[in-house]
Amino acid sequence: MATTTHPKYPYIRVFLGLAALTAVEVGVAGLALNPTLRVVGLLSLAIIKALLVALFYMHLRYDHRLLSIVGGIPFVLAIFMLILLLLDRMMVM
Amino acid sequence: MSDVPSTTGHQHLTPVWQGIQTPKFAVWLFLASEIMFFTGLIVAYLNLRTNSHDWPVAAELLSVPLVATNTFILIGSSVTMVLAFDAADRGKHRRAAYLLLATAILGTLFVSIQAYEWSELMREGIRVSTNLFGSTFYTLTGFHGSHVAIGVIWILAVALKAFRGGYNRNPLGIELVGLYWHFVDVVWIFLFTIIYLI
Amino acid sequence: MAQTQEIEHQEQAHTEDLSFIRRYIFSTDHKVIGRQFLFSSLFFFSFGGLIAMLIRTQLAWPWKEIPVIGRTLYSSTGNILSPEGYPALVTMHGTIMIFFFVIPILSGAFGNFLIPLMIGAQDMAFPRLNMLSYWFMVPAFFIMLAGFFVEGGTAAAGWTSYAPLSALPTMIPGSGIGQTLWIVSLVFVGAASIMGAINYITTIVMLRAKGMTLFRMPMTIWALFITAILVLLATPVLTSVLLLLFFDRTIGTTFFLASAGGNPLIWQHLFWFYSHPAVYIMILPAMGMASDIISCFARKPLFGYRPMVYSIIAIAVLGFIVWGHHMFQSGMNPILGISFMTSTMMVALPSAIKTFNWLATLWRGQIHLTAPMLNALAFVSTFVIGGLSGIFAAATPVDTYIHDTFWIVGHIHYVLFGGSLFGIFAGIQFWYPKMFGRMMSDFWGKVHFSLTFITFNLVFFPMFLLGMYGMPRRIADPSNYNFLAPVQGINQFMTICAYILGLVQLILIANFFVSLVRGKRAVDNPWQANTLEWTTSSPPPKENFHTAPVVYRGPYDYSSPEAKEDWLSQTREPAAAPGD
Repeated sequence: MATTTHPKYPYIRVFLGLAALTAVEVGVAGLALNPTLRVVGLLSLAIIKALLVALFYMHLRYDHRLLSIVGGIPFVLAIFMLILLLLDRMMVM
Repeated sequence: MSDVPSTTGHQHLTPVWQGIQTPKFAVWLFLASEIMFFTGLIVAYLNLRTNSHDWPVAAELLSVPLVATNTFILIGSSVTMVLAFDAADRGKHRRAAYLLLATAILGTLFVSIQAYEWSELMREGIRVSTNLFGSTFYTLTGFHGSHVAIGVIWILAVALKAFRGGYNRNPLGIELVGLYWHFVDVVWIFLFTIIYLI
Repeated sequence: MAQTQEIEHQEQAHTEDLSFIRRYIFSTDHKVIGRQFLFSSLFFFSFGGLIAMLIRTQLAWPWKEIPVIGRTLYSSTGNILSPEGYPALVTMHGTIMIFFFVIPILSGAFGNFLIPLMIGAQDMAFPRLNMLSYWFMVPAFFIMLAGFFVEGGTAAAGWTSYAPLSALPTMIPGSGIGQTLWIVSLVFVGAASIMGAINYITTIVMLRAKGMTLFRMPMTIWALFITAILVLLATPVLTSVLLLLFFDRTIGTTFFLASAGGNPLIWQHLFWFYSHPAVYIMILPAMGMASDIISCFARKPLFGYRPMVYSIIAIAVLGFIVWGHHMFQSGMNPILGISFMTSTMMVALPSAIKTFNWLATLWRGQIHLTAPMLNALAFVSTFVIGGLSGIFAAATPVDTYIHDTFWIVGHIHYVLFGGSLFGIFAGIQFWYPKMFGRMMSDFWGKVHFSLTFITFNLVFFPMFLLGMYGMPRRIADPSNYNFLAPVQGINQFMTICAYILGLVQLILIANFFVSLVRGKRAVDNPWQANTLEWTTSSPPPKENFHTAPVVYRGPYDYSSPEAKEDWLSQTREPAAAPGD
C-alpha cells in the first residue's frame, strides 16, 4: 500500500534538531543551576525531543488523530500517577 | 455511516478504518501498554529518589559523555529506521533493506555500550543489590536494554524479509517495526534525562 | 432489496480438515477459545469456592478438627488448620476468584465468544494472538497451583500482597517460594490479558459489520470494549510492580524495604493503580450483559442508551483516579486522601445513572421472569447495596474505622458476588443456547437462583454488622478478641448458610452439564432477541454467519410500533415508505 504521493518529510532536519537538543541537554546538565530550573529545563528539552520523534518519525503529525489519542492517553495517566506519587513523601518516623 | 469499517468481504484482507490499517492500530495499542509499563518503573524510581537524602550524583559514577554518545547512536538508529520505511514506501526496496540492517547494527552498538557501562559500574562496586541507586539503575536500563535487544532481533527478521523482496508490495511491516523502534528511542530520551542528567 | 455479501470460504480452512488438536486444543476459533476460558474459569470458581468453605469453617469453629478435608490436607497439624494456613487460604481465595475466575470468565469467555458474533464479524482481528492469550493462561494456572505443593505452601500475604511481608522470603511460612510462584503466575495472566485487550479493541473498532455504527452496538459490546481499554492501560502497571517485587525477593533489590531506603507504599500505589481499575474490569461486562438481558426480558428498549454508554466511559475514566481510597490508612500523605475521597464519591454517580436506567427499562415493561432475568435483576439490587456500602468507605473519616474490617469484606462480596457473579449466572444461562446449541432447564435455573439469592444475602449481609462492630478481616481466630465473643454466633450462622450456598451451586453445575447432552435443542433465537448473534444458528457455524450481516437499527427495538412482534432484529430493514 505505497502512498501515491511522496511528500518530502523533514527526517534529516529533525535528526539535526535532536542532535542539537541532546548537546544542549548535556550542556545544561553541566551547569550549576537552581535545582527547580534545572529539572524544568532538562525535562522540557526531553519532552521536545520526544515530541519530535513521535510527531515526525512515528508519523503522528500526518496520521489520523485517533493514533495520537491512543499514544497520548497513557501519558496523561502517567503524569497523574507521577504527580500523586511525588506528593506522597514518606512520613519519616 | 462513516465510522463503519469497509472490508471487501473477507477478513484476511486488512480492513481499513478512516485510513488506519488494522495491524498499525494494534501496534499503537501495544505501545500504549508499553508506555504504562515503563511508567510504573519510572514513577517508582522518581518516588524513591525524591525521598532519598543521599542519592549519588550520576555524573560521578557514570560517564555522561559516553552515554550521551550512546543516546546519539540510538537517535541515529531512529533516523536510519524512518529512512528505511521511507525508501520502501518510494519503491527503493534494496535501499530499505540496507537501512534496516544499519538500524540493527546501531541498535546492537547501543546495547554493547550499555553493557560496557554496566561492567564499569560493577567494577566500581555498585551492583543491583548494593543500594537503591544500583537497584533502580540496573532495573530501568535493563528493561530498556532488553526492549532494544528484542527490537534488534525483530529488525533483523524484517531486514531479511526485505532483502527477499517481501515488502515490495506492502511496506506496512517495516512501518510497524519502526513504530516499536521509535518508541524505544522515546523511552530512552526520558531515561537519559532522569537517570543521568537530572 | 438487502445487499448481502457472500463470504468467501476458499482461504478459510474447513473445520473438517483440521485435526482434533487444531480444532479443540490449539484452536484459533474465538468460539472455541471462549469455551476454553469458560471451562477453566468455572473450574477455578469451584476451587475458589471450596477454599471459601474452609475459611468459613475456621471462622465459625476456630482450631476445630475439620471433617474429611482435615485428614487429607492438614494431617501434619492434627487435622486442624494451622495458624499460617489461614492467611494462605484467604490469599488463594482472593487471587483465584479475581484472576482465574471473574476476569477470565467475563473478558476471556464472554468477551471472546460474543464480540465477533454481536458485531457481525467472522472472528477476532488476530485469531492466533487470541489462541496465544489462552495458552499464556495455562502456565499461569499450573504455576499458581504449584504453590500448594512447595515448601512453605502457597503465597500467604493476602491477594494484595503488601510489602514488606511479600518482599522478604523469610518473613513467615507462605512467604517463601510460594509467593514467588504467585508473582510469576500473575505476570503470565497479565500478558494474556493485554494480548486479549489488544485483540478486542482492534476487533471492535475495525471489524464491525456494515451498518453497525458504534452507537448501534449492544451494551455488552460497549462494556467489553471499555473494559479492554482498562485492561490495556492498567495491567502493565501491575506487571511492572510485580517484577519489582520479584527482584526484591530474588536479586537483592530493596524497592519496598524501608530499612534499606525503599518505600513499601510504592507497592501499594502501583498495585492499587491496577487493582482499582481491575474491579471495574470485573463489573463493567456484567453491567453490559445485564442491560441486554433486562431489555430483552422486559420487551422494552433500554432506557437512555447513550447515557448508559457515557456512564460506562465515565466509570472507566474516574476509575483511574480513585486508587488511593484503598490506602487511606496506609500512612500516605493525608492531602492525597482529599483527592481520592472526592474522586471516589464522584465515581458512584455514573453507576447510579445506570441503576435508574435499568429501573426505567423495567417500568411498564412486559416482564418475563426467566432464570437469566432473575439473575440480572439480582445483579442490579445487590450491586446497589454493594455500591452504597462503598460510599461509606469512600468517606475517609468513616474508612478510618471500617478499613480492614468485615464491612469491606461485605462490600466486596456484594459487588463481586452480588454484582459480577449474578451477572455471570445471567450471562451463562442467556447465551448457553448459542454456545452449546441446547437449552438449560429454566425451572432448575430458577431453583438455583432463589436458593442462591437467599443464602447469599444471609451469608454476606451480616458482614456489614460485623464490620461496624469492629471485627477485623484476615484474622484466623475471632475468639482471640473478647469483644467479638457476642458475635461469634453470627459467624457460625453465616458459615452454615455458606455451606448451603456452596451446595446450591451444584444445581447449576448439574443443570449445565446435563443440558449439554439432554437439553432441548436450541433454535436460532430462543429468546426472540434483537442482537446479531441470534440471527445465526445455535451454535453458529465456524464463520459465524453464512452471509455477512447488514445492520439497519440499534439493538433495543423491542415492542416497536414498526413490527407485529415485540422484537425487531438489528438486521431487519426499515419498512418501505407508504406508496411504494
